[in-house]
Amino acid sequence: MCFKNLPIAFDEDGNAYLKEGVNDPYEYKVVDLGIEQDKLKDLMAKNGFIRSVDYDPVTRVAGALAFHSVVDLEKKKVLSTNSMATLFRGYEIILKGRDPRDAAYISSRACGVCGGVHATTSALAIEMALGIKPPPLGIVMRNILLAIEYLYDHPLHLFLLAGPDYSEELVAATNPELIDKAGNAKARGKAVHGYSTVLDIMKDLNPLKGKLYLEALSMTRVAREAYVAIGGKYPHPQSVIPGGISVTVTISTLNEVYSRLIKFFDYSQKVTAIWDDVFDFFLENNPDYNQCGVRPATMADTGVWDRPDSYDATFENCDKWGNDRWSTPGVLVDGEVVTTNLRELNAGMEEFVEHSYYEDWDGHRFKTDPLGMPLSPNHPWNKDTIPKPGKQSWRDRYSWDTCPTWDRLPMEAGAYSRMYLTAKAQRAPKSKFLQNTGHSMIIQVPKHTLPAATLEWKIPQHWNAFERNRARAYCIPYSAMVAMENWLLAQQLIREGETKVSTPYEIPKTGTHIGFGAWGAGRGFLTHHLIVEKGVINNYQIITPSTLNAAPRAPWGAPGPYEEAVLNTPILEKFDKPEDYQGIDILRAIRSFDPCMPCTTHIMAKDTDHVVTREVTTCACGIE
Amino acid sequence: MAALNDMGALLPTNIEEVHAFWVAGGSCDGCSIAIVGATSPSVEDLLRGVIPGAPKIVLHHPVLSVVAGEKFIEPFRLAAAGKLGAPFVVIAEGSIMDESLAGATGGYWSGLGADEDENGDPQPIPSSSWISRMSKHAAAMIAVGTCATWGGIPAAAGNPTNSCGLMDFLGEDYRSALGLPVVNIPGCAPQGDNMTETIAAVLLFLHGLGPLPEFDELGRPAWLFDETVHRGCTRAGFYEEGEFAEEYGDKECLVEVGCWGPVVQCNINKRGAIGGRGGCMNVGAPCIGCTMPGFPDSFAPFYATPPGTIVSSNISRVTGSIVGNLRKMTQNYQNRTAKWNKEGKVPSGWGHVEEPGFLQKVAHFAYEKLQFRNSPKPKESTHGNILEHKMDWKKKENGQLKIK
Repeated sequence: MCFKNLPIAFDEDGNAYLKEGVNDPYEYKVVDLGIEQDKLKDLMAKNGFIRSVDYDPVTRVAGALAFHSVVDLEKKKVLSTNSMATLFRGYEIILKGRDPRDAAYISSRACGVCGGVHATTSALAIEMALGIKPPPLGIVMRNILLAIEYLYDHPLHLFLLAGPDYSEELVAATNPELIDKAGNAKARGKAVHGYSTVLDIMKDLNPLKGKLYLEALSMTRVAREAYVAIGGKYPHPQSVIPGGISVTVTISTLNEVYSRLIKFFDYSQKVTAIWDDVFDFFLENNPDYNQCGVRPATMADTGVWDRPDSYDATFENCDKWGNDRWSTPGVLVDGEVVTTNLRELNAGMEEFVEHSYYEDWDGHRFKTDPLGMPLSPNHPWNKDTIPKPGKQSWRDRYSWDTCPTWDRLPMEAGAYSRMYLTAKAQRAPKSKFLQNTGHSMIIQVPKHTLPAATLEWKIPQHWNAFERNRARAYCIPYSAMVAMENWLLAQQLIREGETKVSTPYEIPKTGTHIGFGAWGAGRGFLTHHLIVEKGVINNYQIITPSTLNAAPRAPWGAPGPYEEAVLNTPILEKFDKPEDYQGIDILRAIRSFDPCMPCTTHIMAKDTDHVVTREVTTCACGIE
Repeated sequence: MAALNDMGALLPTNIEEVHAFWVAGGSCDGCSIAIVGATSPSVEDLLRGVIPGAPKIVLHHPVLSVVAGEKFIEPFRLAAAGKLGAPFVVIAEGSIMDESLAGATGGYWSGLGADEDENGDPQPIPSSSWISRMSKHAAAMIAVGTCATWGGIPAAAGNPTNSCGLMDFLGEDYRSALGLPVVNIPGCAPQGDNMTETIAAVLLFLHGLGPLPEFDELGRPAWLFDETVHRGCTRAGFYEEGEFAEEYGDKECLVEVGCWGPVVQCNINKRGAIGGRGGCMNVGAPCIGCTMPGFPDSFAPFYATPPGTIVSSNISRVTGSIVGNLRKMTQNYQNRTAKWNKEGKVPSGWGHVEEPGFLQKVAHFAYEKLQFRNSPKPKESTHGNILEHKMDWKKKENGQLKIK
């Protein structure tokens, strides 16, 4: 019984039904945010230490994100927060009425940071809607491509986007007391990374100058070179298609991938050792850092990397093939796994627009999923995207992002959610390289120039900014070993003569066909919901990880994940005058989520027959 | 402009720094991601000022900047007011959205930075307002990616934001402070080096080191976009011989499974996507025309055979089957050594190689007559005495080098 708030119950056979006798089963309370704003205005007028701190834009995130906070600089507390996505493009509207085959290429452009995962999620949605099962090598090659995507995504975030916040230059400006301590702190990972003290590491994190910063840039290129051997180009690969992949797989393809993948064996060891040293230093020197960006480990993930012997693209079997993935889909509430089933993950999703620049929509076309599990009128298959640009107001509407919830709970998403769920649920396939213990993930990294090593990521006690980033560092070996596992499978398939990479299909000219794609982006949870009617796209809805993370308040007042994480963040920065305050703690908390806004916003289609179009906002997960 | 004979420095240093403002409008950030992959030159080399002869670029980019919020926006305000006190270029990524539509209901589509409203509350500043104000003072306006150049997907049919490209937004009479119309580097995303190379070429020109880069009638770097992607395609030879892929994954030419390469101006097959690797059609993926002004609508539905192909690929099937068969005959002889020809046998343990039949021998005899009509055929080996092979080079006669 995974749902606590939605009116969905299960009979003894496990079939879901709508609880009876509830008058308005999907009703929810709408809270007036104006009362809180009046109080804040009052406080600010009375107390000079209470002030509004705005970041527009929040930099070193992908895409257009702005953040508003009210902080008490005397008590060193954050009093109020608002997260704003500041871009709307209308992809969902543009997709409406088009040939479904166009969706993968067009929706890929929702996000330039993780185009490949959008293309793949779109392909999965089409495969489910139209019943297309890709051949094993097609599935395996997609897995490799999308594991490699993370190998350029995570280092980019760790060293170019989040990394500077832990560099000697920035720490000296905001917390000079830590610099001397770092100079005396012995680095435990010296044997792997070669640095004697934590300060030595911090110096090489300095933007554009530090060796670790520059090395990360060059490692992202190594990964991209492997990526384009399959994708043709990046960040929007040209080869991901419904039914598999459009690549002529030869020995050269696999060789070009492998020669670059092995470089990530050493780099995995180095990156995890680097960030263990830096984060342990902060947390050990000032345990208050445990509260930076802290929130309950309440997270959702779609899972990623299908097993070629399990994935059949059907809705009917999605719980099975979902649970067979190398990364387990599901939901964590306060650190506990409440489901690993894709059907329940799907049915629990809703989106709300009370504080977003959209109009609410009417209608409840799909009352249940294809197997009878109840769906809310706010479920993506029922949603409509109706943009309504308006003034930015903390009392009312302030973001192009919507508020997605699962079972009425704001959910966090991230690469780390993928690892957390997989480690905790222990459902993933048996692997020589990856073992899940329920409290940790053990990753066996083969030798390259460094000897083979056993890395272990442990589920942390506090879910804070430091642990998000640490987990992301461990996602590098995790992804590399999934790529390795699939590379071996590709070799095996080719040895066995299974060289087909795609399944041909026709677009049905009649009938209604629905599907959803669920696949992890670099920063986690990603779904595309699709309705095909009479051969064209009738509705397309995208929920991205940053749609979840950057969400504005829920109608009933619950803050979105960024908002909640920053609310819990103590101000540990040192400053003399309020004017000198920079807000490093708040920015660390936000950046730990790896915000990627381009695909966060939705767009709506106006007056369409049940079409919801969603737009993706800007994602800026990138660099440059 | 610095002269090359300036004895004061090895290479010119008259402009030490150029500011570059990266303004992302309706974008996915893919162009930002793509440029970070560039290596010729790399972004970090441009930013660190370590390329002799090119000024250092001071980049104001929302994804890379160390500072955030108003500190980040301050230089934008100065540049927009013409008060930066240093030369700058604007690099626009993403479509320009019609903010008058959003403004009608008091809102915006794409915001960057904020101004206070009459109540002292922050209101986002539309990205396009930065573009129009900064364009008046910019040394150059550079549009990167198909959204900023032509409008791209946000400007596709049915879009709610009435988006367009930079050229449409600024108008045909627009000239930068240096007198340039908008420079366009298309692609979704553009190949990384196409962006850094063009930027470097403009910078070298400003220092008097390079020629004025040539741009075509749409403002594209001519040396990058003059040719079709098909001309540089590793599969173009299949087209020539009339061999076509029937399904995804096949090794032949992709036109019949949806490739628009023969009419698309792009260099990705020649240059590769990064470090010479990849390239859409090289790996097996059909071209959907992402560098072209008509993208995406003129190339939809993707994966369907382009109508022009019905004529052209069938012509090449006919001619190609003749040419291909003749080539195979020649190729068979080229797979043989002189020794094998003499001995009438290929000593391979891998498989049996058929000896050429009578007709093939006749054809080959005629072929060699043509091949050596103006020069002698290399002599057959005389075993043992290398001195007999001393070659006596004569002077050029009739434009040919002759061997005695």
